[in-house]
Amino acid sequence: MASVPHITVVGGGSTGTGIARDLAMRGLDVTLVEKGNLTHGTTGRMHGLLHSGGRYAVSDQKSARECVEENFVLRDIASHCVEETGGLFVKRPEDTEAYFEEKLQGCRDCDIPVEVLTGAEAREVEPHLASDVDKAISVPDAAIDPFRLCVSNALDAERHGARVETHAEVTDVLVEGGEVVGVEIRHDSGPGKRVHGSPGSTERIETDHVVNATGAWAGRIGALAGVDVEVRPSKGVMTVMNTRQVDTVVNRCRPKGDADIIVPHETACILGTTDEEVRDPEEYPEEQWEVDLLIDELSKLVPLLGEARTIRSFWGVRPLYEPPEVGSTDPTDITRDFFLLDHDERDDLPGMTSIVGGKLTTYRMMAESIADHVCDRFGVAATCRTADEPLPGSEDHAVLDDAMQRFGLRSPVARRSSQRLGSRTESVLSRCDPNPVLCPCEAVSRAEVRDAVDQAGTDLNAVRLRTRASMGNCQGGFCAHRIASELHPTYDEPTVDDALAELVEERWKGERHALWGQQLSQAALKYTLQATTMNRDADPAAAEGDVDWDAFDAGDRPVADGGRGGVHRDDTDGGNGGD
Amino acid sequence: MSTPSEPPEDTTAAGASDDDWTYVFGEHGDLVGESDLRPGADSCYKCSSCDTSCPVAEVDDDFPGPKFQGPEQWRLKRQDDTDIDPSVMDCSNCMRCDSACPSGVPLSQMHNTARAEYVAEHLSKTSVEYWRNRVLANYGTLARIGSKVPRLTNFVMGSRLTRFLNDRLFGITGEREFPEFATETFRSWWDDRGGDEESRRRARQVRERRADSDPNDPKRVAYFHGDYSNVNTPEVAKAMVRVFESYGYEVAVPDQRCSGTPMFANGMLDDARRAAKFNVETFHALVEDGYDVVCSCTSCSMALRQEYPELFDFEGTDTVAAHTYEALEYLRVHESVREDVAAADADFPDLAYHAPCHARNQGLDRQAVELFGDLDGVAVDDVGDSCSGISGTYGWKTEHYDVSMAIGEEMFEHMEGVEGETGMTECPTCAMQMEHGTGYEIRHPLELLEAALVE
Amino acid sequence: MDAAAYTATTPTEGTVAIEDDVLVVGGGLAGVTAALAAAREGARVRLVSHKESTLRQASGVVDALGVVDGDLVTNPFEAVERLPESHPYRTVGTDALRAGLDLFDSVADYEGSHTDANALVPTHGGTVKPTARYPVSVAPGLASDARSTLLVGFETLPDFDAPQAAAHLDRAGVPFEVRGVTLPFPGDLRADAAITRYADLLDEATTVDGGRVDARTALVERVKPHCSGAERVGFPALLGFEEREAVRAELSDRLGVDVFEVPMGPPSLLGMRLAERLYAALDDAGVGVETGNPVVDVTSDGERVREVTVERTHTRVPYAAEQYVLATGGLVGKGIVSNREAVRERVFDCHVPHPADRYDWSAAGAYGDHAFARFGVRIDAEGRPQDADGDPEYENLRAAGSVVGGADVAAEKSASGVSLATGYVAGRRAGEEVT
Repeated sequence: MASVPHITVVGGGSTGTGIARDLAMRGLDVTLVEKGNLTHGTTGRMHGLLHSGGRYAVSDQKSARECVEENFVLRDIASHCVEETGGLFVKRPEDTEAYFEEKLQGCRDCDIPVEVLTGAEAREVEPHLASDVDKAISVPDAAIDPFRLCVSNALDAERHGARVETHAEVTDVLVEGGEVVGVEIRHDSGPGKRVHGSPGSTERIETDHVVNATGAWAGRIGALAGVDVEVRPSKGVMTVMNTRQVDTVVNRCRPKGDADIIVPHETACILGTTDEEVRDPEEYPEEQWEVDLLIDELSKLVPLLGEARTIRSFWGVRPLYEPPEVGSTDPTDITRDFFLLDHDERDDLPGMTSIVGGKLTTYRMMAESIADHVCDRFGVAATCRTADEPLPGSEDHAVLDDAMQRFGLRSPVARRSSQRLGSRTESVLSRCDPNPVLCPCEAVSRAEVRDAVDQAGTDLNAVRLRTRASMGNCQGGFCAHRIASELHPTYDEPTVDDALAELVEERWKGERHALWGQQLSQAALKYTLQATTMNRDADPAAAEGDVDWDAFDAGDRPVADGGRGGVHRDDTDGGNGGD
Repeated sequence: MSTPSEPPEDTTAAGASDDDWTYVFGEHGDLVGESDLRPGADSCYKCSSCDTSCPVAEVDDDFPGPKFQGPEQWRLKRQDDTDIDPSVMDCSNCMRCDSACPSGVPLSQMHNTARAEYVAEHLSKTSVEYWRNRVLANYGTLARIGSKVPRLTNFVMGSRLTRFLNDRLFGITGEREFPEFATETFRSWWDDRGGDEESRRRARQVRERRADSDPNDPKRVAYFHGDYSNVNTPEVAKAMVRVFESYGYEVAVPDQRCSGTPMFANGMLDDARRAAKFNVETFHALVEDGYDVVCSCTSCSMALRQEYPELFDFEGTDTVAAHTYEALEYLRVHESVREDVAAADADFPDLAYHAPCHARNQGLDRQAVELFGDLDGVAVDDVGDSCSGISGTYGWKTEHYDVSMAIGEEMFEHMEGVEGETGMTECPTCAMQMEHGTGYEIRHPLELLEAALVE
Repeated sequence: MDAAAYTATTPTEGTVAIEDDVLVVGGGLAGVTAALAAAREGARVRLVSHKESTLRQASGVVDALGVVDGDLVTNPFEAVERLPESHPYRTVGTDALRAGLDLFDSVADYEGSHTDANALVPTHGGTVKPTARYPVSVAPGLASDARSTLLVGFETLPDFDAPQAAAHLDRAGVPFEVRGVTLPFPGDLRADAAITRYADLLDEATTVDGGRVDARTALVERVKPHCSGAERVGFPALLGFEEREAVRAELSDRLGVDVFEVPMGPPSLLGMRLAERLYAALDDAGVGVETGNPVVDVTSDGERVREVTVERTHTRVPYAAEQYVLATGGLVGKGIVSNREAVRERVFDCHVPHPADRYDWSAAGAYGDHAFARFGVRIDAEGRPQDADGDPEYENLRAAGSVVGGADVAAEKSASGVSLATGYVAGRRAGEEVT
């Protein structure tokens, strides 16, 4: 090749960022475009389970084997994203013995390390398990933070020369002479980091090859190129608990079913999930019964959940795919395996490849296979190194005590920070002094927020995903304005204000699904703080300076010499001024 | 947990036997790590009311406040985490955060448990700090030994040399004078007087005289006097007995151990567990026989009512809690003490009253002032709602002495700002602080009640 | 805890009721107002509050009615008629609001009573908020006062970003020059020091900076170089607690400009100061006050409340009165509680109208038209909570404050005014009944 091939990867989820990293490490020229934040699609809307493969050990053994293999790879290369929680498949009296045995055998068949525990032994591991749980299979499930994982992949891709553009939606796939030659994108706020209020712009990216890694959205990109990609998006609900009722992944040991998993995730537990096919990956109903189902069903495994506080719920869409000829009617029957669609071979449209199906646990393997495919196409001999080279942050284990001593952080704050930042702990936390904690729920300090702002611009949701700030029980009630203030004075006040408004709305969207009991009380407090105390809802600044200041009380103090005092009783007409 | 068998103890406080000290060398129990208090964080909505009520956070910025120590630290915790921020040792266990929290977060329970974990995991068992805390926490044991030879003990503990050595070598502040031991303990007075039997006789006499009681329907209370009123202020305990007998109550004074308050505050939960077990067993048996439990110290009633059920689950713990009262409180809700006090007068000096934090936590912080507001002959002024700052053993530690006095400053000023030049409070350590800061003599509400109601 | 409150409980055997004329349940602004109003009628009054007053969380400014239909209101009394008929102000009338404010003025050292017009108080978020009464220390900072302003924030206090607040005020078009500056607070406090620690350093004029100067002097030294051109300087509300007047006076004097405080969210020193002031007024009025224990049960004969049971840790004690006032707060104060199915009033189980479908309790936007913001009991003109048929739940029970629904007091900026008006009505009527 005369020059390095340029590849455009569409989609900033785990697969897209994984592909970008892999290709960039092999020396290709890569541009990644994502219409929202990194993880904006499915990756950011999952329960964070790093599969042991146990879930698929009966129904889908190929997936199960891939999972267990990748599970151990990610523990190495993404140690700062993975919490080695272990997992249990828990059998209740009404669950069949036969299926328990089938699960056990399936795991063994797929080389998933297992151990059988009695009910009492299981409760020793997880004291809040129901007292009538019979027994359990222990598996090497783990928890993974998909946000940090994607951000680390993207960071490393950039280190290897890739360009990463978020908030850049593909508006067209450019086809010339029967071949894909590029994409047209619309930048939400111009190229580079997102900055609220910056004008949008469009850009043509000419490229040697397009990789469509948009998951549930793959059909849309396909359509822009004029090909059919038959993804079958399937929605699932996840409910976030306020605290960790379990520290181990708890699965229910029964055949496919809704509401059968509890994943400890950072400070919380995530309950999952449901599986219902939807027509549109963005427009689908989010319903009360789904949340209620999770709580009611999973309380059978962990009774404490029935009364525990939830802080929000969210829905994600699985990018399921099966070749049209299979014709499954129930989405739970569709394989979790991934498919590489070579549009040259399949649709006579060279220049583009789609990757569909699959799951976060196997993202790296999927990326490797598509990178192999692309390299093969361009005759690049470099081989995949992503299974061996750690992601940024996982190069070596940060020493917790150091962080605490050196940066004056309280020990749980230091611990959580260093778990998020991994080997970057020192360089991030040393950047500002004093370093107050801005988000006490999640123990996020100013330094960590500033680091995320450097990466993400005024996109506070991207800051949130990087740091977890505002993801705790107050859901931004006490911290959103503090986080936003870190943008100032780098960004001007109206920009900061817009960014804050966007974060507040995003938090509210998910919190609405948790509005009863303690979280309703929390939400009412947040509303009171932001509306009553701060008057953000009737902010005169939004009225473009249209306030009749003189109509209001200016105080009862004597007018000083020169008469610069404000309005007094005599001056007010008592009428309704304001705007 | 392999609890060593309880030593036999006779009524002359021979419990200060070697057995008590063998506990000190005993192993750590299994309570630490048992309790998962993370669910308690569900109630927190971050309003910070606890922080603004914290007397330590107000004067010491190394202490981050109860919100961090409690719900935040617990929520951030994972099962296998062992690190507890060392600042939990700066908490004085005044428990004001409990009464501030509008959401029912079990703050003091979180602090007590975290502190116990910290002591178990991080405080070296060979450190001077550990032993100093252990000794302070087991004041009762020390006191029982000392009270046998009160004059000698008073002489030794009062000596400047002892205080100097305590401060330098042991971290017990030399600024304070050790409380004097009474020449006769309450328990020996009680025994000389004829014990429970004599009280039964006297109470029956009263019931026969009083129109509002049935001589054959015994009213019974079991008195939890705690260590301090036994060995240091027996006049308070005697006042309690006389007042209750004047209402026709038969008072029982069973064997008992320290309530555990100083042990909770020092993270010595195993010591506390042993003491609590003994107390619960003893008083549960009495409650089953129709007794209510009455305390003259608000920290003792707090321990029996709140801390025991939060931290332990011996049989009868909840029952004892449900039948435990502070002395004045008991009379307010069982007897016509409001009317009786209003009709009485007392020859007593005017008083500057301080409500102990632990009284506040039981909703009892204003009862004394309200009750005695109607009493002729004595003016009782509330000196405000600040904390005295001593919080039991806290203010005895050299490293906390300055903080303790800084917290107490507000109370001292208010005491000096009111008429009375005698102090009054329910809590023995608050009394020490009040005396230390102002030089006033400090009395107990039961003494005033005795003056008003008992001929 | 809420669960305990749902369990029917009986007083512990052998106890006799603590009796008064009027029993107020709840110790926030409404409860205090009701207790004072009843005491002024000559009633023997007791106030029981589960916890320390939630006033301590309040920003400390007393709003009456600041926004109607999204518009800033200049005169709250005149704007009442623009409210829907179901609004508590329409039920109890503007006279009740005036009477409540008068009562408040008689016990609190607040300003704003010289005019009916609202004042615009700068908030820690940089906006301005219409309010009827404000602390003395806030008064010099009003936004209709045209003096040029310096706002001072502190590095360790991320709740108030002074330069950003200044820029925001400027964008709102305030009639004065405004700048902001962020400084280190004297004494090199740890980054997570409690707000009371800041106040204490100034109260006590503690020696800081290596023993060189006291905290007040150090603060003056740090702020002074930034003062040029400013005619007043605003700080987040932490300028002392016990010695607040002295602290502010000294700073004003030495900086040579007026000094004011910007109200903050919780933890709020202004709220704590107000709570202290109002509780002192309760003492002066002879009201018995007990905090720390919840009311967990009610005994009635169907028509009248006979007694309530207060749970003291593990023992249950009856409290009896002729008249009762319910002032336990709303969703925030937890007088109103909910589960996945329903919303209820915690103590007396009064009727709380609410949509059957949980998803109708809130609106899609963060500041949308939330049904939850109106959750609470509905009262008649006498302040009595009404059952589903519109009849009084009990003859001798009145409700006041945020436990009363029907108004989105956050959007309207009317929370304090509603508490004062309904508290006044409930307390006065209860007091009249027993004297």
